[in-house]
Amino acid sequence: MASERDSDLPDALLVERARRGEAVAFEALVRRHYRAAYMVALALLGSAMDAEDVTQDAFVRAIERLDDLQRPERFAPWLMQIVRNRARNYHNYRRVRSTQPLDAVSAAGDADTEGDAERSDLRGELESALSELSEIQREVVLLHDMEGWKHREIAEALDLSEGMSRQHLMVARRTLRERLGEGFLREHSA
Amino acid sequence: MTDDRIDFSPLDPTKDTERFEAAVHSIGVEARGELARRRARASVVGQLGLWWKPLLAAAAITGIVSVSALLRFQASPATELADVGIAEAIGMPDPVAEWVRSDEVPSMSELIVAMEDES
Repeated sequence: MASERDSDLPDALLVERARRGEAVAFEALVRRHYRAAYMVALALLGSAMDAEDVTQDAFVRAIERLDDLQRPERFAPWLMQIVRNRARNYHNYRRVRSTQPLDAVSAAGDADTEGDAERSDLRGELESALSELSEIQREVVLLHDMEGWKHREIAEALDLSEGMSRQHLMVARRTLRERLGEGFLREHSA
Repeated sequence: MTDDRIDFSPLDPTKDTERFEAAVHSIGVEARGELARRRARASVVGQLGLWWKPLLAAAAITGIVSVSALLRFQASPATELADVGIAEAIGMPDPVAEWVRSDEVPSMSELIVAMEDES
């Protein structure tokens, strides 16, 4: 398990150590970037289970291709590109294999225990609202509001301009507010 | 801007600790082979790295010695060194060596005198 000391190290150092095969360093990278990777996958696939699969697959692909990363301090945007590629491939694969709509697939993977029922309801509401956004709007709003990424970082990871990132965020928030209602957002605000 | 933030925490995959730990573990298991390959490669490179500095130092010393020896030999005429060296090496009497260098053909009497002097 990655120690606290490892979790404080900068990405560049962890990448260098992971390149030498240090499992602890790689695990620290996984723990640090799992949520952001998952959010991007969720934005593209709409299903929690698929997002989980793609996130795991993307990390394995990342360690296999770690030598391709020219600037280790840019691990996060590089990883997000891998997640996006894997998610797109997965999406295409699934489209060929199944005619189930995204929402139906998503709901099928959300079986929870009773204790998680409320959180599951909230998640369902959010996922449903998010499904009304475009892929890029979902990616931007999740990375910004969930992960706290700056527009500069989002722009780099998603290959768009900072201006477009701001624009997508604005539209995404407006759509979500309309869809969810101010009451819902106030009740469940951070 | 911060006030406008929408709370997506119900979507947070790390909130379900058990599931998150299982995912991290699963990734670790999948990556195990690649990490092992990298460790093996790093150890070979590491061994080379350990030997690299002493090897470099030895090569540098050898280079310096070779260059200085070459420079010293270049300072004196090579042909003279060769002539003297060969004559001495085979035990040739000095007068005979002189005849060889000058391309003169000695007379029989000069040869006898030279051989007698040597013995």
